[in-house]
Amino acid sequence: MPAPKLQVDKLSKSFWKGDDEIVAVEDLSLKIAEGEFVSVVGASGCGKTTFLRLIDGLIKPTSGTVSIDGRQVNKPGPDIAFVFQNDGLMPWRTVIRNTILGPEIQGTTAEAARRAGMDFLRMVGLGGFENHYPHELSGGMRQRVNLARELSVGADVLLMDEPFAALDAQTREIMQAELMRICRETQKTVVLVTHQIDEAVYLSDRVVVLTARPGRFKQEIIIDLPRPRDLALKRTAAFVGYTDKIWHLIEEEVREGIRLEARNIATAHA
Amino acid sequence: MQDSARNLLPAADLSVKAISVAGKTKAKRRRRRIIGHSLDLWRSAFSFFVFFAVWELAARYWVANPLFLAPPSEVAVRAVELWNTGELQKHMWVSFQEFICGFVLASVAGIAGGVVLTQSKAVRGFFDPLVSLAYSMPVIALGPLFILWLGIGIASKIAVIFLASLFPILINTMAGLTATDRHLIEVAHSLDASPGQIYRKVRLPSALPYIIAGLRLSVARALVGVVVAELFGARAGLGYMIMSATLGFDTASLFLAVIILALAGVLCVEFFKYLESRLAPWRFQNTED
Repeated sequence: MPAPKLQVDKLSKSFWKGDDEIVAVEDLSLKIAEGEFVSVVGASGCGKTTFLRLIDGLIKPTSGTVSIDGRQVNKPGPDIAFVFQNDGLMPWRTVIRNTILGPEIQGTTAEAARRAGMDFLRMVGLGGFENHYPHELSGGMRQRVNLARELSVGADVLLMDEPFAALDAQTREIMQAELMRICRETQKTVVLVTHQIDEAVYLSDRVVVLTARPGRFKQEIIIDLPRPRDLALKRTAAFVGYTDKIWHLIEEEVREGIRLEARNIATAHA
Repeated sequence: MQDSARNLLPAADLSVKAISVAGKTKAKRRRRRIIGHSLDLWRSAFSFFVFFAVWELAARYWVANPLFLAPPSEVAVRAVELWNTGELQKHMWVSFQEFICGFVLASVAGIAGGVVLTQSKAVRGFFDPLVSLAYSMPVIALGPLFILWLGIGIASKIAVIFLASLFPILINTMAGLTATDRHLIEVAHSLDASPGQIYRKVRLPSALPYIIAGLRLSVARALVGVVVAELFGARAGLGYMIMSATLGFDTASLFLAVIILALAGVLCVEFFKYLESRLAPWRFQNTED
């Protein structure tokens, strides 16, 4: 196996809530090869998003390390791009100026950044919309701009936090197919956090299942489906087999999560 | 590559159709909007006409005493008279200078102050109660004091106008700078922006609509400041014109000055509304449709 592009080593994070220490994620390790697409699934509240934020360096881990190409990551940088669930577009910037925000912050000259930004906009299917404002776009289009902005960063590693969660089911399907194409064209190494099991199976080389609070590794499933993958793949027996398997792994965690939630609310009111 | 082309096609088709449909309704809606606008204009013109007609009739046949109520026709005649002697321009020019100096100073100080006071929690905590106190204070009542301190010239007027219009700008700037969407800051942070870049590229632009709203609120207060400051003691200006008209039983001149001030207020407010719609178009998306 070649040296991993992204290596996460024994990552733990706990928060203090009053006098109680809450362990969000515990002892998470992960090795991802260059160009690999890995999804992380788990019950809600299992620390999936915290895990992504730790990798990006947006929050500091309690213990453990993250490294890219062997270099340790301590803070957000141009090595990693983060696609948030909420598009986070600046409403006062046009589509193109939102797209080139990353290069602009890095100090790239406006003209070069703009040319690259236009290419990324075309790649996400938004050529011709560069001078629109975010409020003039639909939710799906805004999410495409979000993706184009993070592609403009030029990072090899792309972290995605439920990027399509706010979209309707049909738009989501189209976006999944487009993301698949874009990741292949750009050779990105991707970690995707999602609630949608079919999304995880369809896009990934590997799916990692986390336990409910605290988030620990439960199991890893290698998705051995041929690429390129068509949306029609989702209706094949092999695909359904994978989603069933993952759902069975998650189901008890989801039930456990709901039980924990109920107990927390009960004790909070006692 | 093949499957990607297939995946792209439906999306591309959809968006092209969406544009043409949007284009058609856009043209229709634009036509309707223009008709709507000219209708609005006619309605406004009509309501002004009715207002002036009722005023004219009331002044001529009901009150029938030009000391209490001068008819608009007389106000118009007085406007022409005073314009021809150059008297009107003189008063307008003096008031205009005071207004511009006071308001521009208040804008600069209010915005700069808002930036400084939101730099840290401690600074903000110290100044917040003082700002609230000063905002609630009837600054205008201090007019005589300023004349005592700064004399009867332009300085005392500028001081009153400055204080009258400072606080809405200051408070709105502070509110705008502290109300930044945390998610936008996090996005900039994840793009490796420095604290200075986050300030310039996220917090300041997101505060801009608040700042313009503060300017719009302050304009009316500044105009009141002009009149009141001149009432307490002046040698010229629209407030002075009002006072000397009252003393000379010249009701037509009094109304003339008031109407000019009202028009100036309307013009300024409309200017800032326009500025807001240009600089912060996303804030208008709901009202436009």
